[in-house]
Amino acid sequence: MYPRLTFWLLPALLLVAALSGLLLGSLDWRTVQASSADIVTDLRLSRVLLAILAGAGLGLSGALTQAVVRNPLASPDLIGVTAGAGLAATTLMLLWPDLAFGWLIPAAIIGALLAVLVMLALVGRGTLNPSRLVLVGIALSSWLAALTDWLLVSHPQKVNMALVWLTGSLWGRGWDHVWILLPWLLVLVPLALMLSLRLDLLALGDEAAEGLGANVRRSRLLALLLAVAMAAVSVAVCGAISFVGLVAPHLARLLVGGAHHRLLPVTAMVGALLVLVSDIAARTLLAPIELPAGVLTALIGAPYFLFLLTRYRGW
Amino acid sequence: MRLSQPLSPLIVTPCLLLVLLAGIASAAIGGSTFALTLTDLFNAVLGDAQNLAAQLVLGDAQNLAAQLVLTIRLPRVLIAATVGAALALAGTLMQGITRNPLASPALFGLNAGAGCLLVLVQTGLLPVPLPLMLATALGAALAGGLVLMLGGGLQGRIHPVRVVLAGVAVTALLTAMTRSLLILDEQAQAVVDWLSGSLVDADWHHWQQLWPWVLPAGLATLWLAQPLNLLALGEEMAAGLGVSPRRLRLQASLLVVILAATSVAVTGPIAFVGLLVPHLGRALVGSDHRVLLPLVAVLGAALMVWADLLSRLLVFPAETPVGLVTALIGAPCFLWLAARQRGAS
Repeated sequence: MYPRLTFWLLPALLLVAALSGLLLGSLDWRTVQASSADIVTDLRLSRVLLAILAGAGLGLSGALTQAVVRNPLASPDLIGVTAGAGLAATTLMLLWPDLAFGWLIPAAIIGALLAVLVMLALVGRGTLNPSRLVLVGIALSSWLAALTDWLLVSHPQKVNMALVWLTGSLWGRGWDHVWILLPWLLVLVPLALMLSLRLDLLALGDEAAEGLGANVRRSRLLALLLAVAMAAVSVAVCGAISFVGLVAPHLARLLVGGAHHRLLPVTAMVGALLVLVSDIAARTLLAPIELPAGVLTALIGAPYFLFLLTRYRGW
Repeated sequence: MRLSQPLSPLIVTPCLLLVLLAGIASAAIGGSTFALTLTDLFNAVLGDAQNLAAQLVLGDAQNLAAQLVLTIRLPRVLIAATVGAALALAGTLMQGITRNPLASPALFGLNAGAGCLLVLVQTGLLPVPLPLMLATALGAALAGGLVLMLGGGLQGRIHPVRVVLAGVAVTALLTAMTRSLLILDEQAQAVVDWLSGSLVDADWHHWQQLWPWVLPAGLATLWLAQPLNLLALGEEMAAGLGVSPRRLRLQASLLVVILAATSVAVTGPIAFVGLLVPHLGRALVGSDHRVLLPLVAVLGAALMVWADLLSRLLVFPAETPVGLVTALIGAPCFLWLAARQRGAS
């Protein structure tokens, strides 16, 4: 719990990471300067911005999901949102490649919403038992992921895209991706921040929240919608970068505690930092070979998830 | 899905064997990506059936169709059937000893562990040279042990949801490692194909690696059938009737590791056969392991043979990895089981 320090330190860290994202790459800085500035502005800058945007979206989505489900193990990956968005986006790109690029994000949102609706229908109304929700979410995700895999494998000429989509990566992403992602997040992020008071009330438990005048059902629905939308827009652009939505809120909670007006902005920054650092590491660790950023987030996130699992006592 | 009354195994088994045989026959003659048309092939094989039988025994083929069947189709079908049976048996044993309806090699991380260590050995990153089978067995055992431990095994009670979550996380971790290893080895297409389980380059050599492990292990499961039935009555009851639950679990785990690991070594991780088939089997003949285990082996073999055939026909000229076909069929079953599971109870 170091709120003040965090609010100074995190933006500074983010700035440092962004700068090093511009400087580092498979070509060293001197060669880059000698050849042309395009490498920095066209390739690296857009990629850094995209990592920040997608990371913030995924992190916030995770924080909202955890607030709605009131389970620290919930995250958009586990409740089927990511897989739904991924399936919809892949379908669109493979089956209707001529369709305008801008349709990608609406399609991903619709896919994610459908996945959540199916999941809620399967879990059954009223009994929002967290562990059951997560179990059904995992099962649904595995089916949607199998469908996505099938689509990708049946179009083998696009194997590079497959690698991006299966694990999540910022490979080959550029300014057009930034421009389609940015407007959505500019709307969704402020909306999420405006919800923070209601989320604080939700955390007190349904009855206490009702007593304090909150409309529990509506707050929950709104938060869930926002969570779905934010995960979907990020996934539509970078594929399923796993475990960011799970880890970012937890780290943020360690830093600034559970009050959402502080937690949400810090979560966004932590998520952005995670994806940015993973992406930089993915393209520089073994340059010129490039790993998918999603592999690195999984390598960090999965052990952390296991650690949370051993600590969780609410079964 | 459970029938009101279990069918008699005397009816079910012949039917299943028929299905399996039909699958093997059609897989051997059809679903070709070879330039020969299906009818050509069909006529050629049926035309000299006696000739073919003689060639099967003598081992040298004369005409093209027979050669195709003998060198490519037959080993592939046999491997598919064996892997299907092995995974189904492994799933049944796991569900028997954990008494958890979701237990299966894929969900508990065994497939991912075997795959990860296999790739480690094949890329030469592991300093100790291990034989492939030993490597996959070790990987499967380590991953499975880790999942059980994290799933609450240390506190003595394995929580059904917790163990699945642990399995998901361990699988994600191991898959990420496998993926990065394969990318470093610069085999982009191989990543996608191998990680979803494929029978594309199955040949006699693979078959020779497979059967010496699966056959004895498969037969040994039958020997555990009666103790498993007793364990289903509860641990204390089983102990009272002379079965040591601890020893039974150890023996069964050993068999599970052998069965799952050899399958993964040959085909790559194939999901959901181990989960789906035991439930189907129980719905058909009830839960007496003496009947269930052999039935499940046949059922798993039939499922894999048909899934393999489907995988060749789905996007016809190209081939779909067979693991994807089983996932497409099996994941809804997982969904149904999960939705039925009474969470924290």
